[in-house]
Amino acid sequence: MSEQVHNRLAMVRAERKVSRQRLAEAVGAHYQTIGYIERGQYNPSLDLALKIARFFELPVEALFSLEPFRPLTDEIYGRKQ
Amino acid sequence: MTEQMTRYDRRMFELMNRPEAAVLYATARRRRLVVAAHIVLTLASLAAWLGTVLGESAWVMYALLALLLPWCVATGVINAATRGLLELRHRALDERQIADKRRVVTRAHRLTTWVLLAAAAGVGALTWLGEVDTEALAFPVLFAVFVVHWIAPLWVAGLTVADGPVDDEVVGDEAAASPPPAA
Repeated sequence: MSEQVHNRLAMVRAERKVSRQRLAEAVGAHYQTIGYIERGQYNPSLDLALKIARFFELPVEALFSLEPFRPLTDEIYGRKQ
Repeated sequence: MTEQMTRYDRRMFELMNRPEAAVLYATARRRRLVVAAHIVLTLASLAAWLGTVLGESAWVMYALLALLLPWCVATGVINAATRGLLELRHRALDERQIADKRRVVTRAHRLTTWVLLAAAAGVGALTWLGEVDTEALAFPVLFAVFVVHWIAPLWVAGLTVADGPVDDEVVGDEAAASPPPAA
């Protein structure tokens, strides 16, 4: 019944050099939950999604989307889809 | 994780997230084997306990004692595989784990409903055929069903737990060394 929510969590986490454990502690989740979110096996609640976004100081739509994300290089260099 | 975790909660969280036995539950096949072994050990222990209570043979008690240690080990492995899903209090679980726990308990309830039905039908059929004394059968059957009802969530949890994220081994070490998530 639930829709697939796409996310850029793994990429942002790697870019900011934040471990799953550290992120999990910061948002009050289990480190495995972060892994399941990254793999698309679990859709976080709005509460958890907002906490993750706040941790990275990003708008929630920068991390989560109902549509697949375009590759960042396409967004930066403007390649048309 | 809306409430403050107690010292007991933190200790249990650390215990349930220790990575030492990870090799025993790393794949779905190994988890199925552990659960199958746990089912066999539980049923054998149950039979031995009933033999101790209802029978007169002393060796059954020694068999029960011999079964207890591997049963405890198998229980520990399943608990470690599920990261204490059924052992930790709600306040030590996050939203995904609480949802998983509800799903596991619901499935186990459905399973024990069928076990109860089978037990009732079996006892009813034997009584109808006049082959057994219903009064003598009541206690062992009821106790066996109680044990299945009690432990079924652990079996379901062990069978349904998903593989951890790829780099879990590294993160698992971190988990053992660092405190549980703040409430």
